[in-house]
Amino acid sequence: MAGDSWIAFLSERLPELWLRTGEHLMLTGVSTGMAILLGIPLGICAARTWWLRGPLTGGVGILQTIPSLAMLAILLALLQKIGAIPAIIALTLYALLPIVRNTLTGLEGVSPPVLEAARGIGMTPRQRLWLVEFPLSMPVIVAGIRTAAVVSVGIATLSAFIGAGGLGQFINRGLALSNTNLILLGAIPAAVLALIVDGSIAASQWGLRRRRSRGSRFRAAIDRCLRPVALLLPVALIIAGCFAYFSTSTASSNPAWGPPADDGQTVRIGTKNFTEQLILGELMAQLIEARTDLRVERRFNLGGTMICHGAFKSGGIDLYAEYTGTALTAILKQSVIVDPGRAHETVAREYRQRFAAEWLRAFGFNNTYAITVRKSDATFRNLQTISDLIAISGTLRAGFTAEFSERPDGYPGLRRAYGLQFREVRDLDPALMYQAIANREVEVISAFATDGRIAAFDLQPLRDDRGFFPPYQAAPVIRTEVLQAHPELREVVELLAGRLDDATMRRLNFEVDVKKRRPGDVAHEFLESRGLLEREK
Amino acid sequence: MISLKNVSKSFDGGRTFAVNDVSFDVREGETLVLLGSSGCGKTTLLKLTNRLLESTSGTIEVDGQDIALQDSITLRRRIGYVFQGIGLFPHMTVEENVAMVPRLLGWSAKKRRERAHELLETVGLDPKTYARRFPEELSGGQQQRVGVGRALAADPAYLLMDEPFGALDALTRDTLQQELLSLKERLNKTIVFVTHDIFEALALGDRIAVLHAGRLEQIGTREEILKKPATHFVRELFAKPAKQLAAFGGML
Repeated sequence: MAGDSWIAFLSERLPELWLRTGEHLMLTGVSTGMAILLGIPLGICAARTWWLRGPLTGGVGILQTIPSLAMLAILLALLQKIGAIPAIIALTLYALLPIVRNTLTGLEGVSPPVLEAARGIGMTPRQRLWLVEFPLSMPVIVAGIRTAAVVSVGIATLSAFIGAGGLGQFINRGLALSNTNLILLGAIPAAVLALIVDGSIAASQWGLRRRRSRGSRFRAAIDRCLRPVALLLPVALIIAGCFAYFSTSTASSNPAWGPPADDGQTVRIGTKNFTEQLILGELMAQLIEARTDLRVERRFNLGGTMICHGAFKSGGIDLYAEYTGTALTAILKQSVIVDPGRAHETVAREYRQRFAAEWLRAFGFNNTYAITVRKSDATFRNLQTISDLIAISGTLRAGFTAEFSERPDGYPGLRRAYGLQFREVRDLDPALMYQAIANREVEVISAFATDGRIAAFDLQPLRDDRGFFPPYQAAPVIRTEVLQAHPELREVVELLAGRLDDATMRRLNFEVDVKKRRPGDVAHEFLESRGLLEREK
Repeated sequence: MISLKNVSKSFDGGRTFAVNDVSFDVREGETLVLLGSSGCGKTTLLKLTNRLLESTSGTIEVDGQDIALQDSITLRRRIGYVFQGIGLFPHMTVEENVAMVPRLLGWSAKKRRERAHELLETVGLDPKTYARRFPEELSGGQQQRVGVGRALAADPAYLLMDEPFGALDALTRDTLQQELLSLKERLNKTIVFVTHDIFEALALGDRIAVLHAGRLEQIGTREEILKKPATHFVRELFAKPAKQLAAFGGML
């Protein structure tokens, strides 16, 4: 990208960059603060009570080993909530280890003669802690806090997966849309932020130090003025974050820390983290905004089917687009139904009973998994159906999405149905999967049938000649409670029913994935071209 | 008066004794030196006296009160203690170190400050120069002066000193010993002074208690001990330096 377009890109995204930076600082600040309030007392307990030491340091150590995404998923399941709260809890738990351990190390490092003197002149245990042990172990404790804060800035980029906002949102969206600029827009500020946060705490520590400044009187005077300022830098940083957040957050920018939308006049729309979902989310959102008086809150880019479903079930989102095949096999854990109409009826019935939710009429396309190879390979090796792969599968490398590798209607079932045995199977991010096959790093991928990149990367989907894949009709799913409160939603959202066939959806995906346009713009253009945005009187 | 009656201390549940059935009195206004080689139990005795350690058996009375029945924190604030490792608080200024016990006793800031400056004068440090310094900016001798100042801060009647000059060079030690003597004259404290240095014991002690392997060998004035050593150990202890002195005297 040329310099000019970078500047244009940046200036266009600047307000949101402030917003996300603010969210990021608030996530980091609140969680580090809680970890300090929790971790220092725990460290003191560990230092005081010998039998607590092992369990405490071991316990916080184990927390640290839980992979971040798994931690977020577990908290989501436990709390039945998406957004900032589970993210803050996860970040707090991660920040505990360095703080507890450094508090313990710091307290144990206080020199024995000094401790004996403190006891000998008649300090109570509490006075010893506050007047002697604590100040003397401060440098070590602060070093722990710095580690914790920097780690938090890093891990906070992942909280966008569960709708907690922050700079990770750019990274997520960039990954979903294979847009490098967006990824960098999240990653570079996050790295800079880590440095700034670390520096501010270091400055604060300098401000806290009580050494006479050496050198000239002038220098000493400067020190005296700067120290209180330095001391308050981290606090100032958090305030700046709040300011950045509140000055740029508007309803339409979907701040993650907004007041909960329980006013009964807001519909919260969710999406999974890939292009088609974002377009569908925008289509539904813009229709509702145009044709009803309801407000829409976009909680997009949730990290996968299970997180999206978890959010839906717990009322974190009211409406999202789900696929019949996915609902049937991955969520309801039932066997495959080949007939599209019956599949839709079945999931509709089950959802009504089990989740108090309604399936609306389907959009019209079937986004099935498509086992896909390069067109050149297809021609050269005469591949047309998945069965054609059987003979040569031992020589091929496959790249699948993580979900596909695990789902019963994914690779495990496919392998049984066709007897495939690839030489190597790699889990790849959906966006990277297409890149990998184009770069000849894998030969087979689990593409989505409606993905615009199939055409863009010159790929060839293979026919499912044994009828393994169930139909994946995409349709809006809405919580019954919300539909009852606003019955007009059914009519409005169903304006899209049957209007998006495979070719149309593929074209919309192509606009975003390959032409790098925004999902919102593409959705708007489509709705306008079909005359769906005019509100009939 | 401090009086010890049949005091014993064991660190291993009674198999061996660091202090074994020791009894003596420290008289009002005197300097009693506990003399012995390392491991003889002299530091343990000092720590038992302000309850940094608890005795295994026997009683210790301060002003006629059994210390086991007193609050250990209050007791320690009433007894000045100068530590072997000095143990100044490295994050506090000289003034704050000296004023620590008054602070624990709840004196006002102004009174603490005045007291700290007065004490710095007493131990021979100019408050203008030293009050705002940190311990690491002082020499070893200056640090121990601050240590003595800190022990004197709340004007305790008793002062326990655990080899306070042990780590200092001979010259500094000599000066500080002289100053301690004149300080004692002026302040009228009762001092228990622990040392392994015979000359220090002879120079400072109104009376000397010789300890060996946890037992009290003899207690008495320097004349009594030099002229009438009660045990073989005491005789040996003082004989050796006497011979050395004689030898040096010949050379000179």
